[in-house]
Amino acid sequence: METMRRVVRGIREHLYFFSVSTGVIASALILLGLFAMVVRDVNGMIGTWQADQHVSAYFAAGVSSETQNTVKALLEQRSEVAKIEHISSAEAAVWMTERAPDLDPVLKELGPDALPASLEITLKDNQTSPQQIAAFVETLKAQGGWEDVDYGQDWVSRVHTFLSLLTALGVAFGVATVIATLFLVANTIHLVVHARQDELEILRLVGASEQYILGPFLIEGVLQGLLGGTVATTVLYAIHQGLLVRLHDLLALAMGTAPTFLPAAQVFVLLVLGAAVGAGASWFAVRRFLAGLP
Amino acid sequence: MIRLYHIVKSYGAHDALRDVSVHIEKGEFVYFTGPSGAGKSTLLKMLYGAERPSSGKMLVGGLDVTTLERERVAQLRRNMGIVFQDFKLLPRRTVADNVALALEVVGAPRDQIERRVSAALNIVGLKGRDQSLAGELSGGEKQRVAIARAIVNDPAVLLCDEPTGNLDGGMAVEVMEILQAIHLRGTTVLVATHDQGLMNRFPKRVLRLVAGKLTSHESHVRRGPKPPEAR
Repeated sequence: METMRRVVRGIREHLYFFSVSTGVIASALILLGLFAMVVRDVNGMIGTWQADQHVSAYFAAGVSSETQNTVKALLEQRSEVAKIEHISSAEAAVWMTERAPDLDPVLKELGPDALPASLEITLKDNQTSPQQIAAFVETLKAQGGWEDVDYGQDWVSRVHTFLSLLTALGVAFGVATVIATLFLVANTIHLVVHARQDELEILRLVGASEQYILGPFLIEGVLQGLLGGTVATTVLYAIHQGLLVRLHDLLALAMGTAPTFLPAAQVFVLLVLGAAVGAGASWFAVRRFLAGLP
Repeated sequence: MIRLYHIVKSYGAHDALRDVSVHIEKGEFVYFTGPSGAGKSTLLKMLYGAERPSSGKMLVGGLDVTTLERERVAQLRRNMGIVFQDFKLLPRRTVADNVALALEVVGAPRDQIERRVSAALNIVGLKGRDQSLAGELSGGEKQRVAIARAIVNDPAVLLCDEPTGNLDGGMAVEVMEILQAIHLRGTTVLVATHDQGLMNRFPKRVLRLVAGKLTSHESHVRRGPKPPEAR
């Protein structure tokens, strides 16, 4: 109770410094929150791309429908496979005619089996590296009975190179953001504590223990963090609603997925992070300052 | 009460204190005097644990403060009052809040704090000023608040480092009268000062330091002519 009374008095007496610290924590968390939102959307985009990766296996001429269904059923039992879609020769012809009407007479002349039946095989998310897809295709080819097995090797390879680069950039930017955030908050709170050096010095001279001095500063740090986290969440939501939602269709087209706001769990992490950074920075700053006092 | 044995304090090649030995009995009023840089403040700082001697030993109330840990230093300071030339008050807090600090750090209950703060302000002649902001007081009043804070927890020892250094003659005398009254209540009072006029007006035991060396132990300063500013 006495500690809380001192906290309230400290905030009232140093409202400007309290606001500055809260503002800096809020800015830092906005930066981190934006990063988290971008990572989340990029992950969604990557998921969409990965879902697009599939193996097209074209049956050789003469393979009966029963055999095709048997092969499909057998492949569905393999652990790498997420789903398989069977496309008959007739369905392939319809698909082709819809996209290239000029070819319709040619297809009719060639007969109903002009295009081969195929299986569109989607692999599980953890089986989509270029090596894994290649290995799967090799086992498929070894079984025989195919006219061709295609999985867009160049596309898969490019996507994975791009994703590796994106991951590396994301990690580097994330680490830089966290370091910049901690540096910014720690230095601001250090300056704020420095501005209260008279108070700390007097408390020491009248016999206050370090715990007695530290207590209210830690609580103030937690309050600054929670308040900063709340402000950051509000601003992030405003940015999301005001900017991203207006560009929803454009982004959905470019990314293949609609941008989403941070889920409740990540907002909670943002608040906890704010409180931890506020308390941690206060603790370090006050301890450092007290160490230099007589 | 206070025992100093062969205290030496060096800052690099410079010796701030050189082989200082002195005994101060409980209830004494003692001046540390000497020119600027003689080591008066350094000696007081050692007594409240802000400095450690390079060699020698010092006891305060039987406690060896030579090698005191930080947390024990806090406990030591709760049993002594300290008054500074620059008052060391929080200007945006009231007089009562400033004085209460010394009791709050020991966790005294609120009703006891209010009672003892009022009593301390009464002793220093600031009754009725408890809700004034410290920053709005005159120099003499600020020093009285600082003294009230120093005595509010009824310390055995009161250390004053140039308590009249920032005050004009009349106010300085008032502050000295308050210190004398506190001394008469049984508190051991140590005052670092170079104000010969005040020492003449309030004669007590004088310990003179010159270049870190204790050069004389006088029982009382000789009564000289009163300084022109004295009342």
